[in-house]
Amino acid sequence: MAEPARGLHVVVDPSKCAGCNICELWCSFEHEGVFSRSMSRIQVITYELVGLDYPVVCQNCEPAPCVELCPTGALSKGRAGGIELDKSKCIGCRVCSEICPYGAAMMDPKGRYPLICDMCGGNPACVAACPTNALSISGYAMVELPARSTAERFAVTELSKLAKGWGIEVRDDEGA
Amino acid sequence: MLRVDLTHMTYRVEELERDVALKYLGGRGLNVYRLYWEVPPGTNPLGPENKLMIATGPLVGFPHGLGSRINVTARSPLTGLLGDSNAGTHFSEEMKYAGYDQIVLEGRAPRPVYLYITDSWVEFRDASSLWGLTVRQAFNAIKKEVGDPRAQVAVVGPAAENLVRFAGIIFNAYRAAGRTGMGTVLASKNVKGIVVRGDGYVEAEQPERLLRALEQLIYSLYSNPQYWPRRVMGTSRILLAGHRLGFLPARHFQEPTADYAFRVSGELLAIKYNVKVRACSAGCALPCARFFVVKSGPLAGLMGEGPEYEPLAGFSVRVGISDLDRALKIVMKVTDMGMDAITTSEVISWLMELRQRELISDEEIGMKLEWGEADAVERLVEMIAYRRGIGKVLADGVKRASEILGRGQDLAFHVKGLEMIQADPRALKGYGLGFAVASRGADHLRSEPFIEVEDDPELGMRLFGEPEAAMRLGVKGKGKLVAFFEDLNAVVDSFEVCKNTAENMLVLTFESAAEMYSAITGVEASPAQIREAGERIVNLERAYLVREGIRRKDDRLPNRFLKEPLPSGPAKGHVHELDVMLDEYYSVRGWTSDGVPTPEKLISLGLVEVAEDLMARRVYNDEGQGRSG
Repeated sequence: MAEPARGLHVVVDPSKCAGCNICELWCSFEHEGVFSRSMSRIQVITYELVGLDYPVVCQNCEPAPCVELCPTGALSKGRAGGIELDKSKCIGCRVCSEICPYGAAMMDPKGRYPLICDMCGGNPACVAACPTNALSISGYAMVELPARSTAERFAVTELSKLAKGWGIEVRDDEGA
Repeated sequence: MLRVDLTHMTYRVEELERDVALKYLGGRGLNVYRLYWEVPPGTNPLGPENKLMIATGPLVGFPHGLGSRINVTARSPLTGLLGDSNAGTHFSEEMKYAGYDQIVLEGRAPRPVYLYITDSWVEFRDASSLWGLTVRQAFNAIKKEVGDPRAQVAVVGPAAENLVRFAGIIFNAYRAAGRTGMGTVLASKNVKGIVVRGDGYVEAEQPERLLRALEQLIYSLYSNPQYWPRRVMGTSRILLAGHRLGFLPARHFQEPTADYAFRVSGELLAIKYNVKVRACSAGCALPCARFFVVKSGPLAGLMGEGPEYEPLAGFSVRVGISDLDRALKIVMKVTDMGMDAITTSEVISWLMELRQRELISDEEIGMKLEWGEADAVERLVEMIAYRRGIGKVLADGVKRASEILGRGQDLAFHVKGLEMIQADPRALKGYGLGFAVASRGADHLRSEPFIEVEDDPELGMRLFGEPEAAMRLGVKGKGKLVAFFEDLNAVVDSFEVCKNTAENMLVLTFESAAEMYSAITGVEASPAQIREAGERIVNLERAYLVREGIRRKDDRLPNRFLKEPLPSGPAKGHVHELDVMLDEYYSVRGWTSDGVPTPEKLISLGLVEVAEDLMARRVYNDEGQGRSG
């Protein structure tokens, strides 16, 4: 099953995420100058009953529907990955927010503009601040692993999901 | 602050008094201020006239790394005195982002409700279909009904509804504000739950200064040698340590060690069942709440968060259970019923010792009760929650239960009506003094003088001028030790940050607290002023107790700890020398030898009106000495 194409983005190892929201707080401080969960471009979804947490963030789709459909051209692909917003052009129409297949373009609490990850120019504040090492940037490296048997191919497929959360792309050497 | 009138289902937002905020910092301090002046002596704890205060603190909402807490305060239905409990929860920062430092609940709702509190409105929602649900069921039902993943939910369980006097408020399904019956008070007001949701933000008056302070705080946390053991095991690691140091409450404090300790330890729990670390609140950089799943055996599939040391020890060694899985199941049941795990473990282990000594029969209990009988313990938990059979008696707490049965008063381990935690004061003497004087009854979290466990005479000399202060079996210097840590913890609890990080790892000192406070509020506070605020809070709590008639006679430990030498373990032969330590403590505090803060002391702390109030109530005799209450 081919994954949709994506540019550089923040990736998650959910087995490590503790749901401490530190990524959100530093994201909001980096972009808005205040500490807030609602003003963050990364949002942690928590299910307490089973102790699970997942930080949802822009996947940098190629092509990106938010960029394609923005009626004023306020959104563009960032040079360091992510999506950049030109606030002077944004009219707060919410099209990007509604079209995002990941729900990763929340409107700011006052509905003025979307909160989309711009990768902080290449050095995301969330990744730097995470105390559990649960966040990485996609595409640090690509590794081909030998997979001669069905069991090996299955293992590599499963492991590739885990390694993806470390920013490492794993595939079997036959490219299957 | 938000003031909710449940009787008329109305609310109003009030400006927090600025001078009060500065004097009492926030959280616990703010709550006890409100309790002292708004809940007079004689108030029925379960009547509509009692008030329940929930408060957060000045550091909450910032990524300070320490973990954020919430303080719940009311007159206690268990002790009839100061009721106060604290939990680490996402409710804390959410309430802050909704714009409230304190929520005051007054009156009694005409029908079961849950409150939905946001930045812009408060809704009183019907909870009649939720009444009777367990904690996890009610949490789930409210979460679904509200339909907002960010909504932070606190509920009470069946125990609170049945007015079990030691029911807690459970935040986020697993995080308990358990002690002193705060859930019982909430249920008595016909409130099943509280939901909070806020889109706001926090910012510092001096951002650059805050960033520098935050960086230092986080690095001192990360570099602390306790960081990793705590992250892997939370407080559950204390169980095995308690066995080694000989302070466990095994079989209701009859044995200070348990040869099966490893089998019910945090270490084994981490190795076998912990699947993930979890943070109880936003901004915590030492997430120590662990999610566990039992992997094999008849209880495979049992899951939950925690448990911490207190419930784990309470339902293993205290009742003689040596099977981790069974202990976990009972802890989860207690949480689901919404009861204080510490008090529940005392009433059950007390009953077991009564049975052992043949002061009560199996017929009277309604079942065969022996040490380690997990089935029986589990049944008793339910009987207490639903006030069935012997559970009806136990549901009133160990002090009342022993009075009702007219037996075992000497074995009822409480101070001022609050049941003893899972540590033997004979092996931890500073802790013991702390239990005796703690403003909410037998509890370690007021003082938590952990450095005595270091057994380092040089450290004691350096910090308190007394080598024994930092030696757990030492006596001299314990007054200074306890007073110092009581002041620090009053600050930690009022800032509403986590004691495991801030106090136990000494990350938040009076110096770093002053720096953070100044940067955030823009009001320049010195370390001495911060400590004074802590001392002020401790004195106000004491004044509240004194007003209720509490004196030295009530600052007691149960006789077992004062008279029966420890039978075994590293502290074998020791009793607790309470009276000597009390003298030192009162003198360090500037209180009379009867434990009453002098008018001069209160006035020096800016508690002039409190001194006047105590004088008007004739607490002092002509010499300015406290009269016996």
